[in-house]
Amino acid sequence: MDLVDLSTIPDGDIHFQDFIDQLCEKLELEYASYATTNPVNGAVQGYANYPDEWKKHYIGQAFQEFDPTLHATSRSVAPIEWRRFKRNADFRRVFDAAGEFGVSSQGLSIPIRGMYGDSAIFSVTRNCDDREWGLLLPEIIVELQMSAVHMHDAVLRSSLLMKAIAKPALSGREKEILQWTAAGKSQADIGDILGISNRTVEVHIRSAREKIGALSTTQAVARAVSMGIIHAI
Amino acid sequence: MIVVLDALNREQHHSILDEMYKLRARVFRDRLGWDVEVRDGREMDVFDELYPAHVISMNDDGKVVGCMRLLQTTGPHMLSDVFSDILDGEPPLRSSTIWEATRFCVDTNTLDQGRGRNSISYVTSEVMIGSFEYAMRAGIQDAVAVIDPVMNRVLKRSGNAPYDYLGTPKQMGKVVAMAALMDCSAERVASIREFAGIQHDVFVGEDDLIMPMERAAA
Repeated sequence: MDLVDLSTIPDGDIHFQDFIDQLCEKLELEYASYATTNPVNGAVQGYANYPDEWKKHYIGQAFQEFDPTLHATSRSVAPIEWRRFKRNADFRRVFDAAGEFGVSSQGLSIPIRGMYGDSAIFSVTRNCDDREWGLLLPEIIVELQMSAVHMHDAVLRSSLLMKAIAKPALSGREKEILQWTAAGKSQADIGDILGISNRTVEVHIRSAREKIGALSTTQAVARAVSMGIIHAI
Repeated sequence: MIVVLDALNREQHHSILDEMYKLRARVFRDRLGWDVEVRDGREMDVFDELYPAHVISMNDDGKVVGCMRLLQTTGPHMLSDVFSDILDGEPPLRSSTIWEATRFCVDTNTLDQGRGRNSISYVTSEVMIGSFEYAMRAGIQDAVAVIDPVMNRVLKRSGNAPYDYLGTPKQMGKVVAMAALMDCSAERVASIREFAGIQHDVFVGEDDLIMPMERAAA
């Protein structure tokens, strides 16, 4: 899958903004936003590509204090489609206003849970009817999930303290599979070598990739080598 | 029929949740002898406080007859904490597209051994279909399920065999626990549906929830 990779965009806050822009472009979405509270230093970090006028209005009205797409969603396991809030007065208050700024109430919020008690919300919206939304969502939901966690992990890693403590914990199996990948073996080959199914190889690669913060297997191998997790071949 | 209770709707339907906790106490403590904490006849642990998604099967009388609990593997979950023994000391999987399934059970007191709507087999399949379809809609591709060997056998015989296992089965109290991998795929759901003869939509809309519950109370 050809995901937008945060590590290819130059450092600093600006790259999270670019990440959101590129993701919207790629997945045919109008706007996306991300918000988290850092569990280590308590700082709230947020990124969004909404129109500046809407951002100003939103903050001016203190919508963030009761916007259900920000609060009610954060404890969910599955992504929450905004249509679940249709009868919610707070939702209507925020999104009636949003409509005047060209921001649609057709959207979805993905809750993200991290390992350190950290959490975040990644939301996307598109100006379209239910039918179109229903067709689009299954096409992009896997990539949205991966992108949401990718973004969150990158934001966490960007804080210095997290950089110090967040060393990827790879299992023996994950290392072994990455090592064989580094040696040029295909997933099918590795399955044969280790006597496990192709799908098991795949599931470990996916987990290892995300722990390392890489979007492609090639990149995961390169980073694992540079981190000393596996050997260069 | 299947209802999914999460952080957004659990307050409105807390009586269903309550019945589910009671079912879990009957199954995991009374029948399986797991070392779980039961208070006031309800089995609850720290993971229930993390607002997991509960996939719950209710029969036509509105009685809770089966359930399963889903959590993201990106955050705290059972294999990363309490069941880490199963993984032989290895770190757990962590992925945005893998969920963990735990506390899977069905009510063997209410359900029979046959193949009809009121059977162990039917409800097992219904909970599985509900969980996989719910997960797929969320963009989840695989599930790692903590199960016992009996459940493992049930899965294998119902068109729902795990494609692999993580770590090694471990004795936990009176039973053995193991971590099974299952793809959340249309193929798997079709296979379970075919085995169980379930072709209809298993989910009940939230608006319809009130009726069977009122019937149960009447």
